[in-house]
Amino acid sequence: MQDLLLVRYGEIFLKGLNRPYFIRALVRKIRYAVRGMGAEVWVHDGRIFVRGFSDLDECISRVTKVFGVHSVSPAVEMPKEDFDEICNQAIEMVKDLKGTFKVNARRSDKRYPLNSPAINEEAGYRILNANPDLKVDVHNPDYLVNIEIRDMAYLYVKEIPAFGGMPVGTNGNATLLLSGGIDSPVAGWMIAKRGVQINAVHFHSYPYTSDRAKEKVLDLARKLSFSCCGIKVHVVPFTEIQMQIHEKCPDEYTTLIMRRYMMRIAERIARETESEALVTGESIGQVASQTMTALGTTDAVVQMPVFRPLIGFDKSEIIAIARKIGTLEISEQPFEDCCTVFTPRHPATHPKMDKILEGESHLDEEALIQRALEGTEVIRV
Amino acid sequence: MTAYLDNSATTRPSTAVRELIRELSESGWYNPSALYKPSMEIQKRMEGVRKTCLKAAGAEEYRLIFTSGGTESDNLALLGHMKTRRTPGEVLISSVEHPAVSACAEELRRMGHRVTEIPACPDGTVDLERLEKMMGKETAMISLMQVNNETGAVEPLEAVSELRRRLCPEAAIHVDGVQGFLRVPIRLKKLGIQSYAFSAHKIHGMKGTGALMLAQRHPVKPLIFGGGQEGNLRSGTENTFGILALGKAVEDWREGDSERIRELKIRLWEKLKKQIPDAQVNGPAPAEGAPHILNVALEPVRSQTMLFALEGDGIYVSAGSACASRKQKISPVLKAMGVSPARADCSLRFSLSRETTEEEIDYTAERAAFHYGMLKKYVRR
Repeated sequence: MQDLLLVRYGEIFLKGLNRPYFIRALVRKIRYAVRGMGAEVWVHDGRIFVRGFSDLDECISRVTKVFGVHSVSPAVEMPKEDFDEICNQAIEMVKDLKGTFKVNARRSDKRYPLNSPAINEEAGYRILNANPDLKVDVHNPDYLVNIEIRDMAYLYVKEIPAFGGMPVGTNGNATLLLSGGIDSPVAGWMIAKRGVQINAVHFHSYPYTSDRAKEKVLDLARKLSFSCCGIKVHVVPFTEIQMQIHEKCPDEYTTLIMRRYMMRIAERIARETESEALVTGESIGQVASQTMTALGTTDAVVQMPVFRPLIGFDKSEIIAIARKIGTLEISEQPFEDCCTVFTPRHPATHPKMDKILEGESHLDEEALIQRALEGTEVIRV
Repeated sequence: MTAYLDNSATTRPSTAVRELIRELSESGWYNPSALYKPSMEIQKRMEGVRKTCLKAAGAEEYRLIFTSGGTESDNLALLGHMKTRRTPGEVLISSVEHPAVSACAEELRRMGHRVTEIPACPDGTVDLERLEKMMGKETAMISLMQVNNETGAVEPLEAVSELRRRLCPEAAIHVDGVQGFLRVPIRLKKLGIQSYAFSAHKIHGMKGTGALMLAQRHPVKPLIFGGGQEGNLRSGTENTFGILALGKAVEDWREGDSERIRELKIRLWEKLKKQIPDAQVNGPAPAEGAPHILNVALEPVRSQTMLFALEGDGIYVSAGSACASRKQKISPVLKAMGVSPARADCSLRFSLSRETTEEEIDYTAERAAFHYGMLKKYVRR
């Protein structure tokens, strides 16, 4: 008898001829997730199994964070010959449960003496006798006791939901503008969930923002890193650009012009890292620089698509996801971000393009961007 | 070059202390409560430290309880004494207290006592006229700090003690001496103070060690229960390393140290003022107040920005008090003194020690002036 983890995948089911490619990618990601646990991951009968792990809970916690996994079930693998043993194991697995249940047998080994309805009946009868807290409900049971007879017998009861999505890397690369706030890590997480490998760009305005603020952003990246299979964070020195904008551009436009510079620099880094899109945590109307007009003016400086997965989300919805993925408590640390250092009292909410261009004409764009890129530090987390 | 000017947060253990710790960890690690010779030796040395500390505070006839630090000592003084009172009483706490004292207010209220704040004057000391009106038959305890940790203001303990003698002789006075012990001379017996708390790591001792001095018949009940150490007032095996190091630190303190520190503080202020004419002192004039704390507002440069800029030059200072600066609020102490929020947000605390050198002072003033010149141009409009 052996403990193992049965892993179900979600959307990969919808794939046609290239399904094996996605499954191979998913297996690779699961292997990466359980590395160091002595576990073995393999595919059998169109399903993925993990076994040989030392700590079941830790293994579940890791595998459910792999994008592409729909759910997992802790299962037991045992010889199928002794049916009494199988029933005893089933009883053992439901001994603490209360409510209704149903036995769900599957028999791919057609030589097995009992057929599926017979297994259902016999195992159900014995469980019912052994656990007075359980009743049978074949239509809408609280628990499904699965018994599968293949080359071995497999038993499992619990199904633990995972994040879903697609294996990271199967949908290309994107570059995330990562601040220390609540939104951008969530945006990155949502895009990574769709199988996209994320690169992050962070703008650092020393001495207006501290090393602690930078460390906070790296902590956020580290938090995302497990599900995202590693993230490279590009820390871009941004003080000079902010100072020049502050000095030479009209007050109400400084935030927008700053956002445009961020997009320009992020796009250069995106091209270098073979990203096909930029990702931001913006949501319509959340702040002045996120009105539709303002978003239009920031989009105008880049050629690649800009994904904003939170565009229609309320703050409370974003916070709920941030809490779920564990970034909220890091984001809530009070270290100031470069975005808020020079915020004007009355930023333009309906910006005029000609005024933006007029403001930007006082800046030596190429030189500023080049210097920022030269000073960029890449940190892999 | 580096300059550590955050000595009110903590100080570097002195060379003698570091040597002592090494010696103790090799041969002086015995439990002082045991009955064999090496333990008795430690016990004897500990008693020696008790005497040394009491003598340094003019309190030879007082008791001294070793604790884990300033916070525990303050808690024991306030809560421990008020626990001995059967009837509810009023506790007067100055509005500029360290959280170690002010946060006890809530617990005191839960115990059924009344807690009232004594307003502060603009120089950071208690308003004696208002205090006089507040004192009465109901007053059970008055808690003040010897030296304010943010501004260096020295409380008029003599005047407060005199008021008590006249208006509420039954009330006890507790003094938080964490920032004052040794640096500002005190004679507890002469002043008629019932309890006095201090901490070792502010005077080149080790963290995790502090003490509470108690007048002979001043009743206190314990907050920690166990083996009955420290006259049953503070159970738990004594932190012998920390306690013996405290003794070493007190013995090392030389007459004239305070005056030398004050000269350096005045030098820092004069250099700053000369190069930054807009600089303002929060709290007492540099020639007055405690010798080692200088709180300066460098408007319009935010303290956080200046702090990070100085950090880049290896100069470590504090914005407000280090215990509170993670909370990122305007300092309640400066607020209580009537300092405007804008000015408080630009206030830095330089705190010196016996180890501070003239070179460090000159370097700090020069770098602060340099950064000020640049940063004042780039502030939020």
